[in-house]
Amino acid sequence: MAQVTFFHYIHKDTVLHRMDGRLKLLCMLILSVSSGFATDWWDYLVPLALAAAALIAARLPVIALLKDMRFFAVIILIVMVTNAFTIQGDPIPYFPIRYVSVQGAVTGLRFAGRLILIIMVCTVVTGTTSLLTFKNVIEWYLRPIPFVPEVRVATMINLTFVFIPVIFDSYTEMVNAQKSRCVELRKNPIKRMKFIVFPLLSRTLRRTDEIVYAMESRCYSEVRTRAVFRTNKADWLILAVCIAVLVFVIL
Amino acid sequence: MSENNVSEFNIRMMVYCALFTALIIIGGYISIPIPVGPVPVALADFFVMLAGLFLGFKYGLISTVLYIALGALGLPVFAGGKAGLAVIAGPTGGFLFGYLFMTVSIGLIAGKRKPSVVINLIALIAGNILLYAIGTPWLKFSTNISWTAALAAGLTPFIAGIVIKIAAASALGRVLLPRFKQNMVSASAQTETGKGV
Repeated sequence: MAQVTFFHYIHKDTVLHRMDGRLKLLCMLILSVSSGFATDWWDYLVPLALAAAALIAARLPVIALLKDMRFFAVIILIVMVTNAFTIQGDPIPYFPIRYVSVQGAVTGLRFAGRLILIIMVCTVVTGTTSLLTFKNVIEWYLRPIPFVPEVRVATMINLTFVFIPVIFDSYTEMVNAQKSRCVELRKNPIKRMKFIVFPLLSRTLRRTDEIVYAMESRCYSEVRTRAVFRTNKADWLILAVCIAVLVFVIL
Repeated sequence: MSENNVSEFNIRMMVYCALFTALIIIGGYISIPIPVGPVPVALADFFVMLAGLFLGFKYGLISTVLYIALGALGLPVFAGGKAGLAVIAGPTGGFLFGYLFMTVSIGLIAGKRKPSVVINLIALIAGNILLYAIGTPWLKFSTNISWTAALAAGLTPFIAGIVIKIAAASALGRVLLPRFKQNMVSASAQTETGKGV
């Protein structure tokens, strides 16, 4: 059984775990918005340092998380390499491969920085917030908006976040099962796609049915007691730090 | 009134909408930027096609709207981990709106009929034509490039991918759809009887 810790809630007792979910979500949005405004090196380094500090403060299993992020590492690498090779510019001095331009490498690094930041922030938030809290928080934010069935939308968003790790888990399980039967030795890419997409989808659909049955058998209903949130000083301090970072990045 | 709402409400479809949103998000992550323009090659549109095909017009649209709403909120769900309103207004925003029209058209054509390969194929092709009919002009007008450049950045590099995706989606539809729809029907029949009691 694959041990995927990525995007899963890990129960601990730290400042970030105890933090008010509403403010935590706000901090996440602020940091992810700030990544869009970043222009020079410090704009990337400061939010990244903050996210790294949060990761350590939350006492999440960093090494296990890094192992699970191999998938993202591959994407980041592909993006960096394609950027480095395709964006026209001056060649890097004394670098053996002539086609790599300075501008391309910088763009690739920027993209990688942005992606790493967003992934780190999301990991911290999902690792320190239980899904129930997350759902209550979304519901709380949606309540003032008219014509939106807030409970339903919050449940759907919540379920979406439940499904992302479920899909990754079933993918890992399936690939391991296939590896042990030497399926990956097939060279034909269309055949390989068939062997990945078909079982993955049918497997996920089956798991979805299980979730539906689980919800139905527990009498899922939209009418529930509303959650109560508590905020303390440390939470506001963290929010203030995040806003400061955003201001720093925009300026 | 509120009781009425509760009985109409379908847990199964809600969960499936969320599932397809999650699949579209993952498909967005599996994206490769290409050198010719701002539009990356992504698997998101493949799952949007599947959402239209599997969930039909209404629920497929809900699932796609949820995807775009999550991205607009600032969650990194768009192709390559991008997020925010800037992406929706930017050069590739047309493709995001195109997703909506694609789901609607695929859902309407393939719809609640008995799954048939030919109709699914027609639906998928029509959906893709609509997607690129919205995405490519949007790309042209938002970046102020010539039609040739817009076509080179927004259409021609993807044609091979579109063909493969359509083939894969219709093959998946042939294998999984009959079982899926049957499941749906039996489940909704159960809910009907449940309502009576």
